[in-house]
Amino acid sequence: MDLLEFARGPALQTAAYILVAGTIWRIVGIVMLKEKADYSEPRGRGGFFAALKVIWTRAFTAEPFKKATMYPKMMAYVMHIGLFATIFLFTPHIVFFEGWMGFDWPGLPNSVIFFIGVATVISGVALLVRRMTSPVLKMISNFDDYFSWFVTMLPLITGLLIPVRVLFQYEDLLAIHILSVALLLIWLPFGKLGHAFLVFITRGTTGMVFERRGART
Amino acid sequence: MTTVDGRHRLDREAERIAYKPPEARHDKQGDMSTDERVEHAMHHFVKNFNTQTASYLDGCVHCGMCADACHYHVRTDDPRYTPIWKIELFKRAYKREVGPFAFFYRLFGFKKKITIDQLEEWQHLLYDSCTVCGRCSLVCPMGIDIAGMVSMARHGMFKAGLIPHELHETAKRAAETGSPLGITPEKFEERLEWMADEHEVDIPLNIEKADVLAVMSSIEIQKYPESMAATAKILNAAGESWTFRSDGFEATNFGMLSGNTDWQKEASMKLINTAIKIGAKKLVLPECGHAYMAMRWMGANMYGKPLPFKVQHISEYIADALNEGRLKVKKVDKSVTFHDPCQVSRRGGATQAPRDILKHLGVDFREMPNGGDYNWCCGGGGGVVTIKRADELRHRVFKLKMDQVEATEAEELLSSCANCRQSFDDSQQHFGWDYTMGSLMEMVADNIEEQRS
Amino acid sequence: MNYTPTVGQILQAKGVSRRGFLKYCATTASLLALPPSMIPRIAEAIENARRPSVIWLSFQECTGCTESLTRSSSPTVEGLIFDAISLDYHHTLQAASGDQAEAARHAAMEENDGNYLVLVDGSIPMGNPGFSTIAGISNYDMLMETVAGAAAVVAIGSCAAFGGIPGANPNPTGAVSVKDLVTDKPVINVPGCPPIPMVITGVLAQFLTFGAIPDLDKHGRPLAFFGNTIHDRCYRRPFYEQGKFADTFDDEGAKAGWCLYKLGCKGPTTYNACATVKWNSGTSFPIESGHPCLGCSEPRFWDKGGFYQPLSTGHFGSGAKLAGAAVAGAALGVAAAAAGRRRQAKFTREA
Repeated sequence: MDLLEFARGPALQTAAYILVAGTIWRIVGIVMLKEKADYSEPRGRGGFFAALKVIWTRAFTAEPFKKATMYPKMMAYVMHIGLFATIFLFTPHIVFFEGWMGFDWPGLPNSVIFFIGVATVISGVALLVRRMTSPVLKMISNFDDYFSWFVTMLPLITGLLIPVRVLFQYEDLLAIHILSVALLLIWLPFGKLGHAFLVFITRGTTGMVFERRGART
Repeated sequence: MTTVDGRHRLDREAERIAYKPPEARHDKQGDMSTDERVEHAMHHFVKNFNTQTASYLDGCVHCGMCADACHYHVRTDDPRYTPIWKIELFKRAYKREVGPFAFFYRLFGFKKKITIDQLEEWQHLLYDSCTVCGRCSLVCPMGIDIAGMVSMARHGMFKAGLIPHELHETAKRAAETGSPLGITPEKFEERLEWMADEHEVDIPLNIEKADVLAVMSSIEIQKYPESMAATAKILNAAGESWTFRSDGFEATNFGMLSGNTDWQKEASMKLINTAIKIGAKKLVLPECGHAYMAMRWMGANMYGKPLPFKVQHISEYIADALNEGRLKVKKVDKSVTFHDPCQVSRRGGATQAPRDILKHLGVDFREMPNGGDYNWCCGGGGGVVTIKRADELRHRVFKLKMDQVEATEAEELLSSCANCRQSFDDSQQHFGWDYTMGSLMEMVADNIEEQRS
Repeated sequence: MNYTPTVGQILQAKGVSRRGFLKYCATTASLLALPPSMIPRIAEAIENARRPSVIWLSFQECTGCTESLTRSSSPTVEGLIFDAISLDYHHTLQAASGDQAEAARHAAMEENDGNYLVLVDGSIPMGNPGFSTIAGISNYDMLMETVAGAAAVVAIGSCAAFGGIPGANPNPTGAVSVKDLVTDKPVINVPGCPPIPMVITGVLAQFLTFGAIPDLDKHGRPLAFFGNTIHDRCYRRPFYEQGKFADTFDDEGAKAGWCLYKLGCKGPTTYNACATVKWNSGTSFPIESGHPCLGCSEPRFWDKGGFYQPLSTGHFGSGAKLAGAAVAGAALGVAAAAAGRRRQAKFTREA
């Protein structure tokens, strides 16, 4: 078994099992804690649709905060949209998902993905620089923040290096790329990258509580 | 526990709830050992964790944007005032004790135990520099309600006996006498009588059965007694069957502000029981922000089941009465801007009511830039106004409020929270500012159009 | 000893023009990435080479490699180069058989001890010596006996180079490659199923020209021919970059000649010269004919997933195992929440 086969096979599988188990572990561990009943008379509609509403609306910045948060928000948008595009709109990835899920969707030209990838890395670096220089972020950041940054950037950078082919051959880079993805998947449920699924719970909860009050969400 | 009145004299004539500046500060209460304090803090942090807080504490991505929404950080650039940092110890307790991976956090010591030094440091962050205004909760891209968790973290701080001297004394006085300002039922009755005479208004008191129970905030009773007359005028004009009760009149809840849930419940239950006793269909809360939060949204949860009556803020009551035509007002030819009390508008959801009222009054209403639900806090909420040592910081952040008000160039500045009002008055005095905060309810009361029937 | 004509003389006798020969040398030079100034040297070396003795051993193989070399409809220069060496033993091509053939092998070994080349196609079964024998001699014994006095060994085809199809899972004969067994002689791997004839002769030409072992990659392949991937040199590469792919063998993309990545092309991970040298006298190569590269010049190409499975296809594991992971996660979650609640209850009691 060469490195690529190991990466594609056992490494990715193990990572997938850990991802699934860890994600459910964390969600269940949170959801199964005691629930606080709210007996107050509702003003607005809480519930599922309120949760959905805020899951959607919190993706955008409220007008009063736009100026102050413009820079990190823009970088974060580039980062998230870039990650989405590079993960889900790159044809070799689509082929991967098709092989797994049985259906595919149209992708973007590889050269476009390459530039999106570069932009994503730049935004990531910008966010890291901000984290390391802003007094607020310096203070509130911990190992999780930096390690999560690292495991997110690693697949991006190794992915971008594959066509460039520096230092390593294609299949070795591909193997390293897939291994870095495995690392990302393993870390995702346990650290702050868990926000990939926790965001639905946090925004949803706030949506339900505050929409119920008829308050601003 | 230390006693209140023996050491520090209540200063009733001050612009706000206050004692004479304490000669010696006692920001530690009780005779606990250091270990006991830490243990109590931990235990009472941990008690609060539920699915909602757990998701919040697990979901934070450390983006730091909440700092940009917090008046304390915006005005000082001190990173410690980053809202999420204020609940760092609370968060640590969660990760270490209750979170899904708590076992590993403890096993590998990823999250260290809280120390007494940290708790003492955080007293400043959880009390002096947070008004629980909830502006940060709106900027958070993860939708985390940080303000709500500051309130919860205060539970641990209180139990550890680590809350600011004045806030503790105020809360204790409220628990002992029923009012943070030591207003006894006799004193309340006395002042009602005075106002009834002064304003020639009929103020029903201690009626056996009434549809509406009206309550007051001690701040109003003591400093803005006209509020009592205004409340009476409005409820009378609306043809309401209502009453004040001397066995349940205090709407403020310093148990909630200080972090003592027992006292919070006690204060709420007093009002709830009174309302039930007189068969009230509605409990009308005074112009007070935190009273609204305590009763409208937390009251039923203190009661343990849905309340058998409706709870309204006076502004909601007036807006309904005006919209339904039960109350009529004369037009007021003035330009007005309105300061939204955080707990009523942003966190309470009653943002529309004052705007409806102002529309009925026909004023030239000028919304503050980024006003309404995104309003800057007056700086006095969450009990901060009582804390002497926080004065300098409070005045500093008030600058934001001044800019916001001045931008409207309105003639009148109104609000519907007596606590905001006293903090405005104090800052006005400090800065020698032009604007005097007025009461929306009083403006309504002054402009009631007598109905021909 | 008999007069041995030089390669040049033989080529001349076979009617290969000087022009055609130089063209071959030029192609070889460019494949080897040598400057044009080297062309005369290659030509000279080949022309003057004294028919080196070559012993060709065939073990567990299909004769495809020999076919590749010899099945050209008209004589090619590379085919004739082969004629120009002294192929002293090749049991498919030689007229002799039985003891006579073996005697020829022994004679060649003795006469050219230390100078002859051994070319091997096919893998060697190590499971049981009886799995494959020639003249009653097991493949292993014949290989070891023959390479003892060789100058170098060239493993022709993927079976000899990597074990190939006989070595594919579950490898019933315990097939191994030449390199697995020959450790004290230089071994040049010329894999492919079959290898490109031009590459086989090119390697020989290089050996004749420089008398030395060429630079090899990590799999023992001459870098000159195996230094680039099919994907790197593929004429369909621009479609890959543009994101234009054939989804099936008969869709518009396939007809338009778009990239075959999604049809399982192994071009990106396959090192060979197909895309530049091509097959059948430079006519085409598999991708040009509309079929994805199988990756035949790579070790264990038979066992690397389906030929039509795209390269980026991974294995997330079975649904059952994922479901198992989900159940395990749920159990851990419930346990964690229960532990959390227990601690809360304990703290509440203590408080």
